[in-house]
Amino acid sequence: MIECPNCHNKELPGALFCRECGAQLVGIAGMSTQTIPGIPTDRLVAEAQKLPSSPTPAAPTGVAVSLHIFDTGEILPLEGRTEFTLGRSAEGQPILPDIDLAPYHAYENGVSRLHASLSLSQGQVSVTDLGSANGTRLNNQKIPPHKPYQLKHGDTVALGKLRIQLLICS
Amino acid sequence: MVDETLYDLLGLPRDATSEEIRRAYREKARRLHPDHNEKPGETQLFIDIQQAYETLSNPEEKQRYDKNLPTQPQTPQPLLTRVQYSRASLTQMADPQLVYVLLELLPRPDADLPTPPLNICLVLDCSTSMQGARLDAVKATAIELVRQMRPQDIISVVRFSDRAESLVPAGMNINRASIETRIQVMQASGGTEIYQGLEAGMTEVRRYCSNNHINHVILITDGRTYGDEEACLRLADLATTQGIGISSLGIGSQWNDRFLDQLTARTGGNSKYIAKAEDIRQFLHEKVIRLGHSYAEHLTYQFETGPGVEVTYAFRLNPETSLLEIANPLIFGSVPRDASHNLLLEFTIRDIPPEDRQTILAKGVITFHIPGQKVQINHRQRLEFSRPVSPEPDTEPPSATLVQAMARLTLYRMQERARQDIEKGQIKEATRRLQNLATHLLAQGQRDLARSVLNEVSHIQQHQAFSEEGDKKIKYGTRSLMLPPGTKEKKS
Repeated sequence: MIECPNCHNKELPGALFCRECGAQLVGIAGMSTQTIPGIPTDRLVAEAQKLPSSPTPAAPTGVAVSLHIFDTGEILPLEGRTEFTLGRSAEGQPILPDIDLAPYHAYENGVSRLHASLSLSQGQVSVTDLGSANGTRLNNQKIPPHKPYQLKHGDTVALGKLRIQLLICS
Repeated sequence: MVDETLYDLLGLPRDATSEEIRRAYREKARRLHPDHNEKPGETQLFIDIQQAYETLSNPEEKQRYDKNLPTQPQTPQPLLTRVQYSRASLTQMADPQLVYVLLELLPRPDADLPTPPLNICLVLDCSTSMQGARLDAVKATAIELVRQMRPQDIISVVRFSDRAESLVPAGMNINRASIETRIQVMQASGGTEIYQGLEAGMTEVRRYCSNNHINHVILITDGRTYGDEEACLRLADLATTQGIGISSLGIGSQWNDRFLDQLTARTGGNSKYIAKAEDIRQFLHEKVIRLGHSYAEHLTYQFETGPGVEVTYAFRLNPETSLLEIANPLIFGSVPRDASHNLLLEFTIRDIPPEDRQTILAKGVITFHIPGQKVQINHRQRLEFSRPVSPEPDTEPPSATLVQAMARLTLYRMQERARQDIEKGQIKEATRRLQNLATHLLAQGQRDLARSVLNEVSHIQQHQAFSEEGDKKIKYGTRSLMLPPGTKEKKS
């Protein structure tokens, strides 16, 4: 028996998807992700202009991947599954994103209810914009919706204006 | 056919095993038995297959017979097959496990054949509920189709309500103007008895039914038939054995989708749903174009599974998504000229004994015919699915194509299961599942469909049941997600 990391439903070995919640249970061969080359000049320009460049906090130990919310400095560990949707909860809406950003001024920062998704597989993390209203930026570059982009430690993802940093503990 | 061999009689390849011979004989004998057969000449056929079986079931006689068989001309197989498995190997264990198979069937690239003529019958529901926009749209489209038919095509039209009437009998060299008038004056009245319509439609198609034609009944209805479902299903089985396909279009929310799915799947056809009368035109045109693009027709897979193996789910992704009925033989449907026939199969393996190195999932023969070929032969191709067994679970991930296909199918199965939950009275489970489904749909950018699912959730919370309209919207909506990219279907 294999267990769904999302809803803990038991499936027969060989199952590809959870029948209860629809979560994917296996990796994909040759999944294509696009990498946007990091632009080191960004940081140089920021330093030159003496802008408060935010330091990269240490990732909590024992957790592979976590998110650092710039505005509040909070760190959210990502655990227990391989796919996370990011967004904000709204009253009267039955759909809850896996990571609810409502407490971090998501509404004011233009975060959609289902904004983006993060997927973790074999130490790789990628982000996909889910067709959000205000778009997703990766290191200040807007990414087109519904396409996965690979992330590395320290990358900044902006959902609307809400900036989040990815921390990967190697 | 000239020089028919005993193997041809039984619909088997020459290397058929004794088990296959026995099975084919039984299946044919049951159908052709003088107590059941339908057409003149079938009793003689029954006697012939008995003689064939007597010879082929006796090893000595079989050997003698095989020696005298003329050598078979070596022709390349007309269908290319590609098989993708979800796992490189099965795991040695005593517990059940699953494996998924994506089967692709393609016409050989050098197979350039003329488009075969159509032999189709439109079976039109003229019950009272069709009155107005629906009937008008059906009439207008039927007239357009009659005008578009090539001289070699045969089109017939049957109208039905409580009884059926052949409005335009099948035939060539007909006066098109008079057909149009007859369609134009069609009036709506009475109830919906699908059996009546189907029976009359099949009678029309049968007049010119041959393997050189594409024989198809297109049923258009908006209502529920009562009490004659079983008879209809028997008729569908008969249609399959006679080489006639049945497809259906349900308009609005009142028709019985499960019944029509079952009816059409048995013949390799499919059923579709449209919400509005305006979409009738598009459906019918697409349907007729698709029929004209068929390369191989009536693919039937007669198979044996390995010990402890079971086919637990079968779904056709292309052409025309449809849930297949789990039966032996499996009715695959047709292979288009310009694309592949894609099928997803789920096999459940109960247990694998320690000494096994290889598990046969299924092995058997697909039979079909190619209407465009001048000389008709019953084509047969072997098709086998098997996997090696290893002591350790394999870690190689499945191909992206298979995972994508399964991702879509999972959404369809989630709504299927939500429906089963409701039947069992598990309202909470059903709504939770539908909410999960909506989340996945939103993540894929299917906003409209996701909204329909959420509306349905609130309907279920209030009424403890699906609404008739939402039910079909979600079922056929998630189904149309599975069409390969590029074949856009209009959302209804």
